[in-house]
Amino acid sequence: MTRHHPDSLSLMDYSAGNLSEPHALCIRLHLDQCSHCRSRVETLESLGAVMMDQQPKVTVSDTSFDQLLARIDSAPAEPAPVAKTLRLSPLQKLLGDDINELPWKRQLGDVSILDITEKFPGQRERVVLQKLVAGGKAPAHTHRGNETTIVLQGAFADQKGVFNQWDFVVLNEQDEHKPVAVGCEDCITLSVLSAPLKLTGTFTRMLNPFIR
Amino acid sequence: MMMTIKSSNHATVKERPVTTLEQQKSRPEGRKDPWGPLLEKVGKTQDRVAYHSLFEHFAPQIKYYAISNGMANHAEELVQEVFISIWRRSCLYDWRKAAASTWIFTIARNQRIDMLRKMQRSSAEMAIETEDLWQIPGDSEDEPVASLHRLMSERRIRESLSLLPEEQITVIAKVYMEHKSHQMVADELQIPLGTVKSRVRLALNKLKVILQDQNV
Repeated sequence: MTRHHPDSLSLMDYSAGNLSEPHALCIRLHLDQCSHCRSRVETLESLGAVMMDQQPKVTVSDTSFDQLLARIDSAPAEPAPVAKTLRLSPLQKLLGDDINELPWKRQLGDVSILDITEKFPGQRERVVLQKLVAGGKAPAHTHRGNETTIVLQGAFADQKGVFNQWDFVVLNEQDEHKPVAVGCEDCITLSVLSAPLKLTGTFTRMLNPFIR
Repeated sequence: MMMTIKSSNHATVKERPVTTLEQQKSRPEGRKDPWGPLLEKVGKTQDRVAYHSLFEHFAPQIKYYAISNGMANHAEELVQEVFISIWRRSCLYDWRKAAASTWIFTIARNQRIDMLRKMQRSSAEMAIETEDLWQIPGDSEDEPVASLHRLMSERRIRESLSLLPEEQITVIAKVYMEHKSHQMVADELQIPLGTVKSRVRLALNKLKVILQDQNV
């Protein structure tokens, strides 16, 4: 049961289709596990439908409907779409079946990262997976710009609380934190960074593990 | 390009006829949603008369949606893609999961996103499909059937929208119809981002759309 949800404005941007692909992915992964937020999104989609209905209407071309019928009639018979019972999660499509077995790059002691930005061509944000070994600590750091994170496996804790699998958290410049992986699994998160992290400790700043 | 704008409620936002009796008679929601049964007819028997009625009602909305989203040159194309998709998917439509207009809105949204993605890059580069990120209600079988509350929500939204101040409706309309982030809306209206956010939050609260943000 997740306890940290996206805020209404993010869900509204999502339902309007205004989020970048990496951000939409974070929301989608949360929705797949959170019926509460699914029902919020459904309501916001209804708001979208009502907005569309209340805007002006623009007459379509006279031949538009006939064109449609012609396309339908000339289309080769395709199998009817079926509701999917076993959906491949977008995460599996992107990363395969086991996120523990990816080519992780070891950083400071307990932290590994994997930059998957290239899987989202044409996006401006950096997209990274971060892994903190069970019981491990990450160096204190703050964030430049916004960092949207969803927990994919395990859990981490910082001074704001415990973040479990599928919990959703947005951090910014004001949030200096020092996450610790809790529980017996490595904690793996997916983060979308609008700007690189900034390390705050003097020693770790030199090592600069998250910044290229 | 000539475009005919049939309705003028753009200029008379406050007089939006959202709760007039006439409107309620013509567009009741829930099981009486007139578009739901039409969509089901298309799905079950490929009924072209029903399909035409849906087209007459929704195509002009979708065309405006495309134009306001900056796709004036592709507006007719978007209408076509949306309706092809409606034809193909109507067999999956389930009135218990979403009102017809909500279902059609999600298809229009996804087709818009899809068209923009395809213009920007080749499909080989797309590891995940638009529908992996944005779902259409009813596409996955394991979804629980909607609660009554959900079926009521569209009517409730329609009714409460008429009570909102114009400035709040303007902000929401820009987010949904013009593909604008809250920051872009703030820049355009020359008001602080915080003001945009608080207008949206106020509106959503009044719409009773949700909205306990945490601790639920």
